[in-house]
Amino acid sequence: MHKIWSFHGGVHPNENKSQSNQLPIVVMPTPKQLVLPLSQHIGKAAKAVVEPGDYVLKGQLIASAQGFVSANIHAPSSGYVSALAERTLPHQSALSGPCIIIDTDGKDQWVELNPTTNPESLSKSELLNLIHAAGITGMGGASFPSAVKLQLKSDIHTLIINAAECEPYITADDRLMREYADQIIVGIQLLQQLLGQPRCLIGIEDNKPEAITALNLALSHNIGQQTAQHTNIEVCVIPTKYPSGGEKQLVEILTGHQVPHGGIPANIGIVCQNVGTAKAIFDAIIKGQPLIKRITTVTGKAAANAGNYQVLIGTQVEDLLAFAKVDLTRTSRLVMGGPMMGFTIQDTQTPLVKGSNCILAAADLELASVADHHACIRCGQCEVACPADLLPQQLFWFAKAEEFEKAQDHNLSDCIECGACAWVCPSQIPLVQYYRYAKGRVKSINSEAHLAELARMRFETREQRLADEKSAKEEKRKIRAVAAAAVQAAKRAANPTAEDPIAAALARVSKQKQEQQTAAAPKSSEEVYKELKTAAAITRTKLKKTSTALANAKAKDHEQEASLQQTVDQLTVKAEAAQAELKAYEAKLGLDPEKEKILLVAVAKTNAAIRKLEKTLATAEDSQALGEDITEAKAAHQIATQALADHQAKPAPAQES
Amino acid sequence: MQTLYLAIVILALLAIIFGAILGFAAIRFKVDGDPIVDQIDNLLPQTQCGQCGHPGCRPYAEAIANGEAINRCPPGGETTIKALADLLDVEAIPLDAEHGTEAIRTIAYIREDECIGCTKCIQACPVDAILGAAKQMHTVIIDECTGCDLCVEPCPVDCIDMIPIDVTPVSWHWQQPEQLIATSRLPHSHGESDHA
Repeated sequence: MHKIWSFHGGVHPNENKSQSNQLPIVVMPTPKQLVLPLSQHIGKAAKAVVEPGDYVLKGQLIASAQGFVSANIHAPSSGYVSALAERTLPHQSALSGPCIIIDTDGKDQWVELNPTTNPESLSKSELLNLIHAAGITGMGGASFPSAVKLQLKSDIHTLIINAAECEPYITADDRLMREYADQIIVGIQLLQQLLGQPRCLIGIEDNKPEAITALNLALSHNIGQQTAQHTNIEVCVIPTKYPSGGEKQLVEILTGHQVPHGGIPANIGIVCQNVGTAKAIFDAIIKGQPLIKRITTVTGKAAANAGNYQVLIGTQVEDLLAFAKVDLTRTSRLVMGGPMMGFTIQDTQTPLVKGSNCILAAADLELASVADHHACIRCGQCEVACPADLLPQQLFWFAKAEEFEKAQDHNLSDCIECGACAWVCPSQIPLVQYYRYAKGRVKSINSEAHLAELARMRFETREQRLADEKSAKEEKRKIRAVAAAAVQAAKRAANPTAEDPIAAALARVSKQKQEQQTAAAPKSSEEVYKELKTAAAITRTKLKKTSTALANAKAKDHEQEASLQQTVDQLTVKAEAAQAELKAYEAKLGLDPEKEKILLVAVAKTNAAIRKLEKTLATAEDSQALGEDITEAKAAHQIATQALADHQAKPAPAQES
Repeated sequence: MQTLYLAIVILALLAIIFGAILGFAAIRFKVDGDPIVDQIDNLLPQTQCGQCGHPGCRPYAEAIANGEAINRCPPGGETTIKALADLLDVEAIPLDAEHGTEAIRTIAYIREDECIGCTKCIQACPVDAILGAAKQMHTVIIDECTGCDLCVEPCPVDCIDMIPIDVTPVSWHWQQPEQLIATSRLPHSHGESDHA
């Protein structure tokens, strides 16, 4: 007899198993419609490989696994795929998700199966592939893909088969063992073959004597047939205590070792599989059938035909309830799973999935209501009951105060949500819901932190890239500038005589100006004459001024006398030169300024005389004599004006020359 | 008198020795960068939306380290303000409404039929979460989108929507139970929890 250990805490709720474990498993007929969620396992959702309108055979692959942690889904019966649609999922959130909906045709026609006749010849990887292809997930409720769980790097010394079925009301595994013990043993042997022949311990609670007997019988029967290498399977009867069926608890009961914090049993060389999984592996390998059916318990006071039913995956709850004659009017709560760890479902069209082991149709007062809970009285009973050695009260305070870091420090993640603490709580505090809330918040905080980290990285990478682009542009610009300068230098070197462009431009401009000047019309002789006149006048004025200054200086015996004298001499010379130049030009023009002056004076004099006479005429009486005088004066003025005009007309020929 | 001089000399020597040790430590154990900025940056949501008036979360973290108010981050909301207040040992103050209000997280969605491929949103995205090329349809990488809203305004054809993130069975989590006490019972109801 194998030694049995124990684990801390645990509770003994009413078992309530006898309602459903008395009758043999009933095969439920194929329902009209099957609803298969693409995600009915832990990990990534499978991807549908059928289209609406496709005809599928029983056992045909309809959705294939995506990624490492995922599982295939097969058609549980033959019929037409009517839709790929969103339906309520069998999940605590009651959210909808994508499902494949099959309208069955009632023929239940199998796809061609490939049963293995000689399983001993299969290698480990072949076995794993078959398990993966059959879409097998853990049948205990968590639905972790089995092929992933069995794909281990480390050595396994013990295979534990979980047949404890510790949760009240559920008897699906109990009936399965009673009726399919032989197949379970073969499934276990296949698992041993896959894991390198470790010893196998079947952990079963002592409240299932018929199942224990059946297993022992099957074992002796099997060993009678087989060779000695299969003798290392032992049925270990353990005391009934909730939650001995928890993976970590069962490991501790059967081996005395604890699974390390944050680890899995494989870390200490142990693999744990549900008894239903062993049966599914038998079906997959020996019969070649994928996982399309399971045993589900229907129980509770509202179920007239409480018992165990073999249902197709995807059967909607309402079909099963109708078959089991559940009185929905008497049902106050419909729970999927057991009373300790299950969840309430509102939508009766929710499908049953690979992990659905029980439907509990509870009548009024059958399950304790938790609507009104009281304040914590710090009695400490939860700590006594906790099978994971945690401090539920502390976790409760932290969850309530949203101090999630502290909750994590108190190993919140090790909580298996078994509900033992809430079951013992005298204040009926929904402790598990607090822990689930805290776990959910921790998860979302972590995922937000992960996303924030990702965003930060992308932001910083982008900033870096923009900065790099900018500096690269600047660098390019500089390179271009250098290249341009080099080209210029090369040009100059090739043609050294070429002038500087600016100097050349300036030269061009001044040249243009000169040309313009030369091209301009020659100055008229009058203008030249005027200029010369002006120059002579200026020189004269200067001379006069300087002479005055000299006179002043001489008078005051000024010391500047000498320099002034010099200036006067120079100016005198200049003035004489200017006068000479003017005279010469006048001579050239044929002008006689002296004569012109005399003539002008004459004109002016005669003009003045006329004016005078006219004035006198206006006032005088002897007008006749005066009139003669005026006529004479006018004649004289005429002559003078004529003379001047003649004189001024003379330069004309010179102008033309 | 000699004792007095001796004491002064000893104290002076000690001062020099310890000064040297401190000076050495300051160089040897110098912390690169400004760790407080990093710590603040870690608490910010990294949305890079610029609603605080800074071009990204890190610049705001630097500004906070230099004494700017801690209540200018709408995406972070009360949680971030509380965390910052704890870190900086200052009082948590309500969110400054001038910079925006706390809203549910959204992500950008491009109505691809209407996209003209102008790349303006790509240039606006602070985390490179928009994929596309000139005159090609653009699309948002939803896993990378921070919901900062910065791509909406530059779009010349208004084909970008900000839509709330759907709750999936994976992202869903339990809510905290309603906290009832015996003296304030609500009418009896079913279905809050599942424990017998």
